[in-house]
Amino acid sequence: MSVAVPALPRHRPLTRWTALGVVGALFALLTLAAIGFGSTWIPLEAVANVLLGGGERTERLVVLNLRMPRVAAAAIAGGAIAFAGYLLQRITRNELASPGVLGVVDGAAFGVVLFMAVFSNEANALTVPVAWQPLAAAIGALVAITVVFVLSGRQASSAIRLLLFGIAVAAVCKALTTIFMLVGPIYQASQAARWLAGAVNAINWGEIQIMALCLVPTLLFAGALARNLPPADLDDVSAQGIGLNVPVYRILVFTAAALLTAIAVSFVGGVGFIGLIAPHLARLLVGRARLAGILMAMLLGAMMLMGADLIVRVAFTPLEVPAGTVTAIVGAPYFLFLLMRKDQANG
Amino acid sequence: MAFVSAAPRSTVELRLSPAVVFLLLAVALALAMLGSLTLGYRLYGLDQVWMAFFAHDGSETATVIAGLRLPRALIAPLAGAGLGMAGAVVQTLSRNRIASPDTLGLNGGAALAVVVASIVFGVQSLTGLSLAAALGALVTSLVVFGIAAGAGGLSPLKIVLVGVTFASLTHAIVEVILTSNEAQLQQLLFWLSGAFVDRPISHFFTGLPVVAVGAGLALVLARPLDALQADDSTARGLGVPLGLVRAAAFLAVALLTGAAVAMAGPVAFVGLVVPHAARRLVGLRHALLLPASGLAGALYATLADIAARFVIYPVEAPVGAITAVVGAAVLLILLRKRAA
Amino acid sequence: MDEPSRIDIAELTLAYGSEVVLDALNLPVPAGRITVLAGPNGCGKSTLLRAMRRLHAPRSGYVMLDGRDIAGMGGKDLGRQIGLLAQSPSAPPDMTVEELVRLGRYPHQAMLQPWSPGDAEAVERAMAGTGVRELRRRRIGSLSGGQLQRAWIAMVLAQETGTICLDEPVNHLDMAHQIDCLELVTRLNREEGRTIVLVLHDLNLAARYADQLVFVHRGRVVERGTPARLMRADLIAQVFDVEAEIITDPVHGRPLCIPLGRSRPAETEAVPQPA
Repeated sequence: MSVAVPALPRHRPLTRWTALGVVGALFALLTLAAIGFGSTWIPLEAVANVLLGGGERTERLVVLNLRMPRVAAAAIAGGAIAFAGYLLQRITRNELASPGVLGVVDGAAFGVVLFMAVFSNEANALTVPVAWQPLAAAIGALVAITVVFVLSGRQASSAIRLLLFGIAVAAVCKALTTIFMLVGPIYQASQAARWLAGAVNAINWGEIQIMALCLVPTLLFAGALARNLPPADLDDVSAQGIGLNVPVYRILVFTAAALLTAIAVSFVGGVGFIGLIAPHLARLLVGRARLAGILMAMLLGAMMLMGADLIVRVAFTPLEVPAGTVTAIVGAPYFLFLLMRKDQANG
Repeated sequence: MAFVSAAPRSTVELRLSPAVVFLLLAVALALAMLGSLTLGYRLYGLDQVWMAFFAHDGSETATVIAGLRLPRALIAPLAGAGLGMAGAVVQTLSRNRIASPDTLGLNGGAALAVVVASIVFGVQSLTGLSLAAALGALVTSLVVFGIAAGAGGLSPLKIVLVGVTFASLTHAIVEVILTSNEAQLQQLLFWLSGAFVDRPISHFFTGLPVVAVGAGLALVLARPLDALQADDSTARGLGVPLGLVRAAAFLAVALLTGAAVAMAGPVAFVGLVVPHAARRLVGLRHALLLPASGLAGALYATLADIAARFVIYPVEAPVGAITAVVGAAVLLILLRKRAA
Repeated sequence: MDEPSRIDIAELTLAYGSEVVLDALNLPVPAGRITVLAGPNGCGKSTLLRAMRRLHAPRSGYVMLDGRDIAGMGGKDLGRQIGLLAQSPSAPPDMTVEELVRLGRYPHQAMLQPWSPGDAEAVERAMAGTGVRELRRRRIGSLSGGQLQRAWIAMVLAQETGTICLDEPVNHLDMAHQIDCLELVTRLNREEGRTIVLVLHDLNLAARYADQLVFVHRGRVVERGTPARLMRADLIAQVFDVEAEIITDPVHGRPLCIPLGRSRPAETEAVPQPA
């Protein structure tokens, strides 16, 4: 089912890259601000200083061990899930698709909770290296999205139907997650609950390294696939006509999206809505160009999660409200707005 | 507005007479309620149940049965009945068979209202919370249906997307509020997925009148609701006052959903699954469908509540998790059938 | 069955926002006859039919039923007088034929009044009259187009109204079922004396079945009268924008229109208006 796309102004390459440049600069500023902000405000120059190798010892401690991990995790996770959302929206030809709605996030969450429940001893410590957590998330994400696709069968071509299958699978994953959280020790339940809502605060460099390590090959994989993304309004038959093996390609794209989501979610938790909004905003800013669109989406996604984390630190201190909650509170109305607007565009 | 569905394969159906169906449902419900009293972490015999009610000797057995088992044996069917009937009305109102109080976000709105009322406004009385929940459900239904109507009539699938998104929004807001009560997080987590356990019996007595009023209102609307299953033009051609009927139906749904959520938290998917079963049993006439949904909902909730005791024995699972799994499976089946 | 009603439409003006769809329209609908509304797309014929059944509130003007302004009548009261078969009606595919026909009794039932033998009889008569009795327990989603249409007509019949309005009832039916449906409607008129108002797209069908044919164009009645009077090449060119040859149907003696081509170049086509 092809969706009528509202007419967008044609973006000339110069405008695109200008927009990217501007956003990139904003991203850099936001990074500095996010690092600077906290219980003690560290001025931007000091932050830059530390990053360049200098700076006072206390400042270095705060920046490198407390702030940067959070910010880096937010940037990586936000960017990864934005890319995943971009892929999903392009392959389903519908701007309502996102990892959150296709059950990928909940599948990954279940994978992680299962991992925590199975591989914990009585002292609530993990019996295997935490490095395996992204793998658990990835397996959960892949299983979930596979189930969604197998079950939807022929209906997968209807984006809306697909989303509903995703919601059903997500519901099952959520229920199972709840059950496993109860089976496990109580301490883990609250930890898991916060993680599920999308929390950046407990992250450390080790986990970030794992994320980054997993991310690099995944990005390459996804990037290679993205090169073959057909034009947005080309239906399956025509795409096949220009030589694209649509079923196989589609499976690969979904796998890539699931992996990206899994990485993002594995240490940071449920931040699905970013995968919805970032690609959409990117398209508004740079049009349908692929490379610019992907970069823009990732930048925006990173900024969104960093921004959400910043808001949490600013507005809710000392409460540790999960950043994912903030994105949901912003993301859900936006999604609703999208739903309504789409219908008006379609008449 | 066309219905998004393939032609059903069965043509002539051998259907049991409604009287027989109701009798069977009632008997099954009675048995299930008995089961709810006897089955659980410890198994009790019928004699012990009898003793607990009619010859209370202060023993632990009698206390457990009368104090712990009885409330949930009463609350589960009441909440289930409320949600079942609310689901039937919602599906008719929205002409959408995958609509339900949860998929349209009403449960979420009611839950948010309860959390806000109790934590922000300090409302303690159960009646107050029930009404807060009803108000939450009502406001949510107005918003969701308003969005649907305002956008020139969204497709049934889109409306459900709207509702589910709304549910995740209210869930996120609830989370923010609850994070400040971290000590209770475990308990609240449990409640947030719906539970009949650990409820005082006063919940039942406060919920009963609200459910009764909601059910009564829905039954009065039975005939207009029948006509509402057809398109708007046909219904108006028959003389149905659409606006008035819809408003009254919203109110009924809000009362039923509100009472159920205030008693037991947002129990997932009951309102989705039950009307489908009821329709298969008694057909589409609301004079039959509403009571059947009520009975079937009561039965389903009670059975789920019993299952909740054994799924991860000896730990008690939240009944909402069970209904979510069953409900999601049913939703998947419903979605698949449309393809054929 | 009561006496057939007579509808009078006087200076009816209806608008959607600033767009005028019906423009001070006047039309008498004779009792006990078949009136057919015909006209090009967007002329307002469907809107007119729906206004007759008060599905739209007019900006000014009246629809009178036996001398009473329908604007002041109660919903159920009007539902007992005028029945409407809407264009593309829909109902759940798993609804049985009997459940559908029963809906037609709605205007006759007070709030908590139980189902009466009178209601049951009306339903039986309606199903018998349209030949769907054997289909009563079938799901409407499993019916053929012709069967489904008969089921809907049965629902309207169960309303037992003196007047029946049908909005493009045969558009989506094949030839055999078109004839079936219109013959049924004619029988209801001839045998039971009900007033029928039809909106038909096919001009030849309109000419064949109408007692009073009405040409509607841009929200006004251009002309009305017997098909013989209205089926003239010049009038058809004016209303339908088509050059046509008119002959007489050798079987039924009614005028038959044979379209030859557009009467003017496409650029001067009228701006389409909502029907």
